[in-house]
Amino acid sequence: MARRHLIIGGGTAGMNAIRTIREEEAERSEIMLVSAEKPYSRMVLPYYLDRSISESHVFTATAAVLAEWGAKTHLGRRATNLDTKASVCTLDDGTRLEYDDCLIATGSSAVKAPVPGAELPGVHSFWTLDQCRALIADVKPGGHVVMVGAGFISFTILNSILSLGAKLTIVEIAPRILPRMIDDTGASLVEDWLTRHGVTIRTDARLNKIEDAKGKKRLKFAKGGDLTCDAVIMATGIRTNLEWLKGSGIRVNQGVVVDDHLRSNVANVYAAGDVAEGPDRLSKSGVVHAIEPTAQEHGRVVGANMAGRGVGYAGSLVMNIVEVCHLDVASFGAWDDGKAEATVGVKRDRHAYRKLLWTDDRLSGAIILGPSSDIWTTNDVGMLKGLVQSQVPLARFKAYLKTNPFDIKPAFIAVKTAGRLLPETVLGRPAKAPGETPVAV
Amino acid sequence: MSILKITPERCTGCLRCELACSYMQTGEYQPAKSVIRVSPFEGHTSYAPYTCVQCAEGWCMTACPVGAITINAAGAKDVVDDRCVGCKLCTIACPYGTMFYDPDTRKAFKCNLCGGDPACAHACPTAAITYEDVATSDWLADFAAERTQRLLVGV
Repeated sequence: MARRHLIIGGGTAGMNAIRTIREEEAERSEIMLVSAEKPYSRMVLPYYLDRSISESHVFTATAAVLAEWGAKTHLGRRATNLDTKASVCTLDDGTRLEYDDCLIATGSSAVKAPVPGAELPGVHSFWTLDQCRALIADVKPGGHVVMVGAGFISFTILNSILSLGAKLTIVEIAPRILPRMIDDTGASLVEDWLTRHGVTIRTDARLNKIEDAKGKKRLKFAKGGDLTCDAVIMATGIRTNLEWLKGSGIRVNQGVVVDDHLRSNVANVYAAGDVAEGPDRLSKSGVVHAIEPTAQEHGRVVGANMAGRGVGYAGSLVMNIVEVCHLDVASFGAWDDGKAEATVGVKRDRHAYRKLLWTDDRLSGAIILGPSSDIWTTNDVGMLKGLVQSQVPLARFKAYLKTNPFDIKPAFIAVKTAGRLLPETVLGRPAKAPGETPVAV
Repeated sequence: MSILKITPERCTGCLRCELACSYMQTGEYQPAKSVIRVSPFEGHTSYAPYTCVQCAEGWCMTACPVGAITINAAGAKDVVDDRCVGCKLCTIACPYGTMFYDPDTRKAFKCNLCGGDPACAHACPTAAITYEDVATSDWLADFAAERTQRLLVGV
């Protein structure tokens, strides 16, 4: 009998797992997919929001692709119970799916700040395709949008809101914006940039309640005046979708605890993506990164292992990039390590910033800001990632970079970073193009 | 597959590769839109072109959330314009710093070996850039290690 793989979750991790199983397996297995939604990419929703792409563009695996992969799909269904002793998963319509091995890739959900009025119509989250559709209907040219929370998610849709012609106010409970992506100096540069581009930012703003006000929404704060707007977006955090695993015997901490093969404490159950607490590339300890690149790598490693490969995972590197009004903002690795030796370069007039964090003569983290039109910003983004990823010793170039933090390239090349990076592949073989076993159309 | 072999000792810094590349990639003679970049070394006495090594992992390709980076007929990782939304995930995934972003089109772009007939190699008058069926390599490392000594004086 063909081996039965059960993939629970149709996001990035799940889709990469299915594709990799088909790439790696020696004999055709049976693949079952359970997904509450049709598979799409969350990453591109901001571009659907501002209509620079059509809705069909967001789907990662259409019905045709899933059929080509030979996946038996249970779309619109949620897993409600995992019986790890019997290797049976039960769905919300009572369907029982028996498996030989299973991937938990149920992702995370948006969480609204618990204030009165958070559930009113016109108070949005931006995480799923349905939520994106609802927001599209509410953002109008000339309207006023208030985003609650100045984190990564808010910033990914900032350009979209502005390009739709709406006026934008961002309110944040913390004393500054992007508290989990960049440091204080970087945040002050971004805040200044956004203010110049017509975005109103209010920090230290504790939201008390949201009320209906003659077809509009009124936001009341602990201090400072009210805000009245046409739509509210609550980008106040995400929560891993773990509740359904209660009683399953799967060990859970911040996420499903997995080893370097992304296997849980139950031998035939894997976890990947936002729901998995997998190894960090630098610290090697278990962490929930909840970022797209981690979900992608997790998915491929699990897919290979489900196909019998035995791939060990080097661990994921935290990385984020967002562009706001043509300013690139990115960070890597242990950028917030307050104890690390740090090198800082600021060109305030150009809104350019580099921060390098050191462990001995290796880079353990970095922050970079610069105008998108500056080719060096984009090139340095990649090279900083390479320096952190490769852990190449900078040797005498450490002293050079400490006085010239904007001149990454000579150091990157001269310490032979590329030579260190070239042999590395995630699956121990060259990656295949998405079209070879199609993931997108 | 054939790739761009760089012999940096032969580079004169004439920047013809950048012009040829930008014209081929974007239709403009604009070095700022070239995906091969010539860097100076040792106080502008030496130069070397740097571009995508067409690595085995294809970090840009595997990172793309919509499958917009694929492998073209020449074996190069190539951005499919119609699919790319400009999210820049490839620019943080590529550890070589060889992904580019065009603010005019709002899409990523990169060396695609011009589909098998690279303009930079044609344009190079000294054969510092050749298109050959050899394994990819860290072409610039030894050259750069030698020619960055001035930078390190006094640090």
